[in-house]
Amino acid sequence: MDALDKLTILADAAKYDVSCSSSGSDRKAVKGMLGNAAPPGICHSFSEDGRCISLLKILFTNKCIYDCAYCVNRASNGDMPRAEFTPDEVVAITINFYRRNYIEGLFLSSGVVKNPNHTMELLVDVVKKLREVERFNGYIHLKGIPGADQRLIDRAGRYVDRMSINIELPTTQSLRLLAPEKSRSEMIAPMGYIKEQIAEYKALSKRFQNTPSFVPAGQSTQLIVGATQEVDLKIIKISEALYNRMALKRVYYSAYVPVGKTEIATPNQLNLLRREHRIYQADWLLRFYGFKADEILTREEPNLDMEVDPKCQWALRNMHLFPMEINRVPFEALLRIPGIGNITARRIMASRRFGPLNFDSLIKMGVVMKRAKYFITCSGQVFGGIDLEPMKLKQQLIDAPKSQTSQMSMFELYPGQFSGGGASYDLSV
Amino acid sequence: MIYLYDGTFEGVLSGIYVMFHQKCPVDAARLMHKDRYQYGIFDEVVLVETQVEEAGKVASSIIETFGQEAFRRIGYAYLSEDEAFGTILFKCLKRAYKLGGMAFENLSDPDILALYKCFNAVARESHRMLGLLRFMELEKGVYYAPFDPTYDLLGLMVPHFTERLNDQVWVIHDIKRRKAAFYNGHEVHFGELDPLDTMSLSAREHDYQKMWQGYFEHIAIDARKNPKLHRQMMPKKYWKYLVEKLH
Repeated sequence: MDALDKLTILADAAKYDVSCSSSGSDRKAVKGMLGNAAPPGICHSFSEDGRCISLLKILFTNKCIYDCAYCVNRASNGDMPRAEFTPDEVVAITINFYRRNYIEGLFLSSGVVKNPNHTMELLVDVVKKLREVERFNGYIHLKGIPGADQRLIDRAGRYVDRMSINIELPTTQSLRLLAPEKSRSEMIAPMGYIKEQIAEYKALSKRFQNTPSFVPAGQSTQLIVGATQEVDLKIIKISEALYNRMALKRVYYSAYVPVGKTEIATPNQLNLLRREHRIYQADWLLRFYGFKADEILTREEPNLDMEVDPKCQWALRNMHLFPMEINRVPFEALLRIPGIGNITARRIMASRRFGPLNFDSLIKMGVVMKRAKYFITCSGQVFGGIDLEPMKLKQQLIDAPKSQTSQMSMFELYPGQFSGGGASYDLSV
Repeated sequence: MIYLYDGTFEGVLSGIYVMFHQKCPVDAARLMHKDRYQYGIFDEVVLVETQVEEAGKVASSIIETFGQEAFRRIGYAYLSEDEAFGTILFKCLKRAYKLGGMAFENLSDPDILALYKCFNAVARESHRMLGLLRFMELEKGVYYAPFDPTYDLLGLMVPHFTERLNDQVWVIHDIKRRKAAFYNGHEVHFGELDPLDTMSLSAREHDYQKMWQGYFEHIAIDARKNPKLHRQMMPKKYWKYLVEKLH
């Protein structure tokens, strides 16, 4: 099997891991070394599912001794072609892709071969060669193998920019159900350890100039949504705890994709993708908009609304706070208005100093009036004739289906009547 | 009144100098690239001579009054090659000197916003292109990257790649504008370069291109294919030089 075959198999095996970000590391260029890291991150391509390709995201091997029900690489998935790289192959591909500007760096993960320590050693070997032999100074994201020695986590941490240990499923019960060989503590313990080490190295680097870096871009994790029954409130509470207590940089969510034959009942894929999207929006509210999980959702309303975004959902529940006066409320309040994002809020703050803004300039600055108009006044004025009663309001916020999609569903609903479209509805049958 | 400059950055700043000096009213004057201007029969035309010293005065005044960032914005906006850039800049500066130090933050003002839009378009494509540029390895180990950007980005690509690929010999070639940046491992120089007819690739180049194509194809999740989103994130106009989109 040549490197090309291995690459396609091991890219296939890695694609369900959603993380691809290359941001957060400020690795300065050094003369004679290859690469640097750009703090905002750079997308080098976009795959046909529309996701950013920033890092070369591959598994070292997709052979695995575990049998997690949600995972395409589980031991019992017999139809799966298997492959294993050598460390030198991964190094050569990474360096050559990087020199052609295909990638921002490497994201290396792996199935578990023999045992966690053996696997982790192989991964450490790759990153060590990249840094020490090839003098590679680009971005590296390494997956920590649950159950591997602290000593190995420690060694890896000095070479990489980001480390992540996937939490996989939201609760201990669901983990027991779908991944009986993995334990929650094997995931949480190294996360806590990495957090402590990052803090320690940071403190040291303030006193000693030559302190090496340790996971400078921080850690992230991923959890699978929709393979088990948790409500959205539970999921964003977990994320909130991971951000606050484990100081994680990102939590990624992956709508469960049924892979191979499995015992898990297959949920509606389209709804699941929308749910994933809404959870990401809620995650954004946690990280950049100053919301708490308990504000976004409540016990009475524990799930995200599929029809309106989480900020609208929150606003509709809190109509007593609106309308807000654009020319007066503080930055934190602007951020809570549906249709106003971080950049727009900052533009409003800056422009406001020159005099009161009007609706026209708000639109030019990027306010999405379709949503914002129900929640703001501009020098006391209301935009157009609008109705502020929450239930009616919600109807108005829901996007009307586009004409094209309704046509599609018409064809799907009455295949017999509209058979001209394609080969799938053969008249002779 | 119509003022014509020679198309250079110094030229446009010289134009600004003259126009401010002559106290041109903001609505009755235009500043245009002389090669792109079409003479109207009743136009009164002034040909501006490029004066490096006067251009320098304008530049330092902008930096002193509005800061480095404002000047950077103007530089980027110039690279947009927008037909109306000279006039946009004139109006923007007229307004900005009235508003004072933080004027460039006032995006509710249409004249300030117009310049910001030129800047932003260039900044966005420039960031995008840092990712989309593709090098191929030629014989003798030179890495060659042809591209065809909407705006004049060559100068903005260079600092990034002299840092990142500092141990590598490379050429970045703007095919449409027929110019290139050459880096020999130590320093960069710019020069004219016509599109190349033939190139001899290194022995391994083909293998790595194949691998990148294979990777690209397999990293997409079939169940989630979304061609519309794909084209939106990576518009077709950039595909011509993307290895992964050539088959």
